[in-house]
Order: sequence, then structure tokens, then C-alpha cells
Amino acid sequence: MIGMRLLTLVFCLFVALPLAWLVYAAFIPAEALVRANIATFGVTLDNFTALRGSGLWRAMGVSVGSSSLVVAAQLLFGLGAAYAIRNGAPLLGGVMVLLALPSELLLVPLYRQLQGFGLLDTVWALVVPFLASPLVIFLLLQALRRIPWEVVEAARLDGATELTIVRRVIAPMLRPELVASGVLAFAAHWNLVLYPRVMTTESLWTVQAFLTELLRTRPFEWGLLGAAALVASAPIIILYLLLERRLIEVFEAGFRS
Amino acid sequence: MRARRRQAAALALPAAAVFVLFSVVPLLSVARYATWRWSGTADPVPIGAENLLRLLRDDALWASAGTTVLFALLAVPTFLTLSVVIALAIEGVRAERFIKALLFSPGLITVGGSAIAWYLLYNPDFGVVLELTGFALPWTTQPVAALVYVVMFTLWAQTGYGVLVVSASLRGVPREIKEAARVDGAREAEVRRHVVLPMLRPTLLFLTVIGTVFALQSYTAVYLLTRGGPFGSTRVLGYYLFETAFERFELGYGAAITLFVMAVTVIVAVVQARLLSGRGARETMR
Repeated sequence: MIGMRLLTLVFCLFVALPLAWLVYAAFIPAEALVRANIATFGVTLDNFTALRGSGLWRAMGVSVGSSSLVVAAQLLFGLGAAYAIRNGAPLLGGVMVLLALPSELLLVPLYRQLQGFGLLDTVWALVVPFLASPLVIFLLLQALRRIPWEVVEAARLDGATELTIVRRVIAPMLRPELVASGVLAFAAHWNLVLYPRVMTTESLWTVQAFLTELLRTRPFEWGLLGAAALVASAPIIILYLLLERRLIEVFEAGFRS
Repeated sequence: MRARRRQAAALALPAAAVFVLFSVVPLLSVARYATWRWSGTADPVPIGAENLLRLLRDDALWASAGTTVLFALLAVPTFLTLSVVIALAIEGVRAERFIKALLFSPGLITVGGSAIAWYLLYNPDFGVVLELTGFALPWTTQPVAALVYVVMFTLWAQTGYGVLVVSASLRGVPREIKEAARVDGAREAEVRRHVVLPMLRPTLLFLTVIGTVFALQSYTAVYLLTRGGPFGSTRVLGYYLFETAFERFELGYGAAITLFVMAVTVIVAVVQARLLSGRGARETMR
């Protein structure tokens, strides 16, 4: 047990190190790096002001906009699909296959598909193919299976339509799961790297595409890189800090047996 | 009741339409695209089976398949072991929630940002770890070190998922069974090995499948960290596919590679499904 605990401790440090560095590097003054002395303490906001005009803020706008739109649609459509499956629509198999599909398989054919629709290099290329998510459907379905079904039967006896049941009965009961799946879905879309590079050009680059380009073109400006990385991570860090407990509970519950 | 069911099923239509239009139809069309010579911008030229034949004599492709297998062999067993050991070690500990939150966070936090942090920390020429300890993994020059580096990054990002899944199924182990073993005089280590671990088997098989999917998708980490180098040592299949289609602009051949990866995925999935159900069958016979 002591050996296992020790391994856990070492692994936790290994996980924490890059995260801590991310925060630290954003605030180190440039001269600390020139002297190649990383232990020089000092805090500066210069790195953040240096980001002005770099295109980061524009990329943030593209990312926040497209990811938010995608999450809203994924929750809306996902709730409908999960409810349909719970009522016997034979779609679960397909959803599980899509869940296990390696994403690189879609790069080439989706490129052609979007080209055909005239969506290539538009903001819609970042949105339309992501309007539904197998993971969201799976998590919401697991949550629906825990709901006592008498509630739905009662609403039916009262004459409510299925749409009303989903909106007025199911959605309020699944609020924690909707929030948690929403955060996971947001993170998944926010973290796409190659997809936006393939489907759009520079003016529509998401924050990930921007970061990888920054690392390629200015690899020695540590402070600038750190600041950009921190800004790009901020929305998720904030969401995670606010909702961490709920998120982990829902994720665990989804995979309990 | 039937009208009800139809009403409910209709609610799945938007999601189903998205999946059909942007997953099913593209996947089915790959076979047609694979018969094209196509740069992505100009009109495609049909060239028959040329791309498919090229697959067979493409040494880089087979090397890349080997790299992918090696990557999975390094990553998946380590992923399983870490997930189980950590989940067992933190069960019931006061810091359990904090540790889970910490381990889960890298998978959510901006991958581009993580890549920057890793680059600055572990760079073998000027990285922080080098300055502090005098040692650094030579991943820019040594093929094996580069592969280990990408595996480490993947484990760094994904182990939290594994820990959460194992931890969830640990809660499903009935307390009475563990108590009974203790009453019979089993030591804690024995309870873990002979009582808890066998009950985790379905979870471990599930994680093997998930871990393999992660391994097949490792191309993003490769793109961020090593771009396939040095000497192609980290060029996993997904990355080779990306490189061919979108850096050398051979999308027709990229479609052929997509077919190849699809075949590999299906074979792996079938083998794993057979292993899963085979074990299940033996279990019920006992």
C-alpha cells in the first residue's frame, strides 16, 4: 500500500508540474530568461500586454463563439436523442460505434463533404459537423436510466406531449448532468487542434491552432507563450474550478458498470 | 402508445441527421475518394485502384503501423496499471476528491497550452527540467526517447479518465464480500488481489478498448510535440494520414490510408469484442 501511495504521489507531481509551470511562466519577466536564471523571482504583466495585436484575442473570439454554439446544440439534440433511445429507439449501437470511432478517419472525407456544401473555410465548418455528440448522448442516457420512469408515465396520463415532457419534466431533473456534459463537450470542441487547421485558414483559426503556430514561430519567447497558453486555458480552468465536483460525479456515474 | 413512441423517436431526428450527414455519409464515401488523384483544391482525377496498390508497397505506411502498435504496447498496459493502482491507493483517502480533480484536469485544459508547457519544461536543450536536474529525455534526437515522450504526454493527459472509471467500479464491489474475506483472515493486500481485482475485470477490459482508441487517436499529441520525428519514429498512423493528405496534399491517397486505418480499427475492435465475449462465456460456464 505504501508503494502504491508513493507511486500516486509521484504521478500527481508529474501531472501538476506542467500545470504549475503554465501559470508561472506567464508572469516571469523577460530579463529572468535572458540571464537564463529561472529561479529569479519576479512578476510582470508584460507578457500579457505583448499579446496585443498577436491575433490571440481574435482566435479566442472564434473559439468561444463556435464552442458555445456547438455545446448548446449538442445538449439540445443530445437530450432529444437520449430520450428517444430510452423510449426504445434502436440507435444505441450506432452511438456506441461513433463514440469509439478514431477521429482521424473523418478528416479527408469531411473535407470533401464540407467542400461540396461550400462550408470549407467558413465558421460553419467549425460548427455544423459537431452539432451532435455521441458522448453527450451516452452520458445523458445513463442519467435518464436513473430517473424513476413513473414521473414520465404520470405526465403522459396528464396528456403532456413528448416534447413537453422533455422540456418540462426531464430537462429540469437532468440539470446537473446537462451542465456536466456541457463542460465536457465544451472542452472537447475547444481542444480540437488539427481539425480547424485543416478546414479553415488563418483568419478563422481557433485558439488551439493559434497556439501551435505561436509555438512554431516564436519558440524562445517563454513568457509570451506562457501568457498565451494561460489565456487560452482560462475559460476551461474557470468552468472546471466552478463545476469540478459535479463534473466528476456525472462522469463516474456514467461509467458505473 | 405507438403514436407516443413515434413522437419520442422523432426527437432523435436532429442528432441522427447530423450523424448521417457528417459521419456516416463521409465514411461511406471514402472508398470512392480513394480512387482519385486529388490535391484538395483542383478537380479530382479518377485513377482506379492505383492508390490502393500503392498502400501495399508504401514502406512508410507499414513503418507507421509498426510505430502505432509499439505506441499502444507502451501506453495501454501502463495506462491500465496506473489507473488501477491510483484508484486503489486513493480509495477512501481524505484527499481523494482533490487527487481526482487534479488527475482529470489535463485532459480538459487546452491541449495547445499543455504542449507549450511540456515543450518549455522538457526541452532537452534548454528545458527547465534540464536546468534543475541536469537530466532530460533526449526526445529531439533519439527515436525511442521520442516515442516514450509522446506516450508520457498521453498518459499525463488521459490517466485521469482511467482512474475515474476504475474508481466508479470499485464502488460497485459489495462491502460484505470484502468483509467476509477479512473475517476469513485475509490480509488487505490479499483482499485486493483475490477479491477486488477479479471483480474489476469487465472494467479493465473496457479500459483496454478505450485505451486502444486513445492510442489510435494519438496523432494530435504527435503533431503538438514531435511532428512525427525524429526520423519518423513517432509517426503514428493518424499522423501519417494527416501529413499525406494535408501537408503533401495527396488527399486521394489520404483516403486510401483512411481505408487502411479503418480496416485496422475494425480488426482490432472485432478481436477485442471476441476476447470480451469469449471471457464472458467462460465466466458463465463456471
